[in-house]
Amino acid sequence: MKRLIFQIGHFFLMFSMVLLAEAREIRLFETAELEVEVRVFPAQGDVLLLGFPCDEGKSNAEEKTAQSLANDGIEVWMPDLLSAYMLPKIKSSLGQIEDTVLATLIDAAMKTGKQVYLVASGTDTQLVLRGAQHWEADVENPALGGAVLLFPRLYKGEPQPGIKPEYQDVVGATRLPIMLMEGERTPNRWGLMDMTNALSQGGSPVISKIIPMVRGYFFKREDANRSEDVVTSQLAGLIKVSLFYLNQEVPHD
Amino acid sequence: MIKSFCTVLVMCLWVLPLQGANLKPYNGSDSTPPLKLVDLQGKTHNLDDYKGKIVLLQFWATYCTPCRKEMPSMNKLLRKMQGTPFEILAVDMGESKTEVQAFVDQVKPEFTILLDETGQSIAQWKVFAAPSNFIIDVQGKIRYTLYGGVEWDSPELISQLKALAN
Repeated sequence: MKRLIFQIGHFFLMFSMVLLAEAREIRLFETAELEVEVRVFPAQGDVLLLGFPCDEGKSNAEEKTAQSLANDGIEVWMPDLLSAYMLPKIKSSLGQIEDTVLATLIDAAMKTGKQVYLVASGTDTQLVLRGAQHWEADVENPALGGAVLLFPRLYKGEPQPGIKPEYQDVVGATRLPIMLMEGERTPNRWGLMDMTNALSQGGSPVISKIIPMVRGYFFKREDANRSEDVVTSQLAGLIKVSLFYLNQEVPHD
Repeated sequence: MIKSFCTVLVMCLWVLPLQGANLKPYNGSDSTPPLKLVDLQGKTHNLDDYKGKIVLLQFWATYCTPCRKEMPSMNKLLRKMQGTPFEILAVDMGESKTEVQAFVDQVKPEFTILLDETGQSIAQWKVFAAPSNFIIDVQGKIRYTLYGGVEWDSPELISQLKALAN
């Protein structure tokens, strides 16, 4: 009997893995100088989430979240920018990704006619801001829905004790509505208000929230604890709530 | 050949963290922010009462891995500084007394642990990362800062700290 239950469970597991694999498409986007491979999790709804994970084309938690969002009607695009540039997965690689490429991807997403939101985490959040700034500069009526920044790390250098941190130049340079989320169990939570103010300098409405009981980068951690596993499993829900809040910030006709 | 290369690499990795252990001269505001917090026994500590001593004021948290790693070296530093007026005050950043006590029972710091559950001092001292360290001289002025985990009982740091007593 136990063996039968195990076999049935195994069958359903394999079946769901096949479904998951089939739900994802790879599309190529050509910019002036390079081809960017984009993992697309298609959906019929009118919302598109463009994520910038610098993950060399593989990130477990983000892909599961993307699939879950797609199942709920939110299309997700995840361009693999590091591979497009043949860059290693290190912080300094981000500076070599051109703003024009980021803006081209935003433009392609906008051309679907869906309401587009941007998302990134950690140091990758600078790509969202740079892309949005470049794209906003080129269009008359920017209509991006907003951006979700998960535990953004946007300091210029290491934060020195006793001195207000300096942010990267792109911070406060866009008008994009921003939802900022930070873990409770990270020293960065104490800089949340300061970063909120810095991000809003360019006219962005910024909402900031603390996610209780998790550390920064919680969904990328190999040593994730129970509460971090639970929040990671609910990440799609968190993003949907963020999009709801951002939607309140966008002027409607 | 490969063995020699690996040995050199391991030695470099061992030495590298210590190289960054120099204290940075403080360039912030001239006035030292106030600090009045309770320890785990409920006793209030006021930084003003520590004038006449060199103070290592650290902001840390139980979830901060470098903070946990460097605490044994802070215990050693305290012992090596015996004979010099020196104190360590370690302010936990916004956690509950229960969480901090559990950490202390395990790691056993031999210096004063202070609690700041509301984060008031964290804002006043402009702390945005952990561990964030301030070295305060005998007049109560901030002289150096240091961000990140270090081996506190290194000869370089000890001589820099002792120089402040003269």
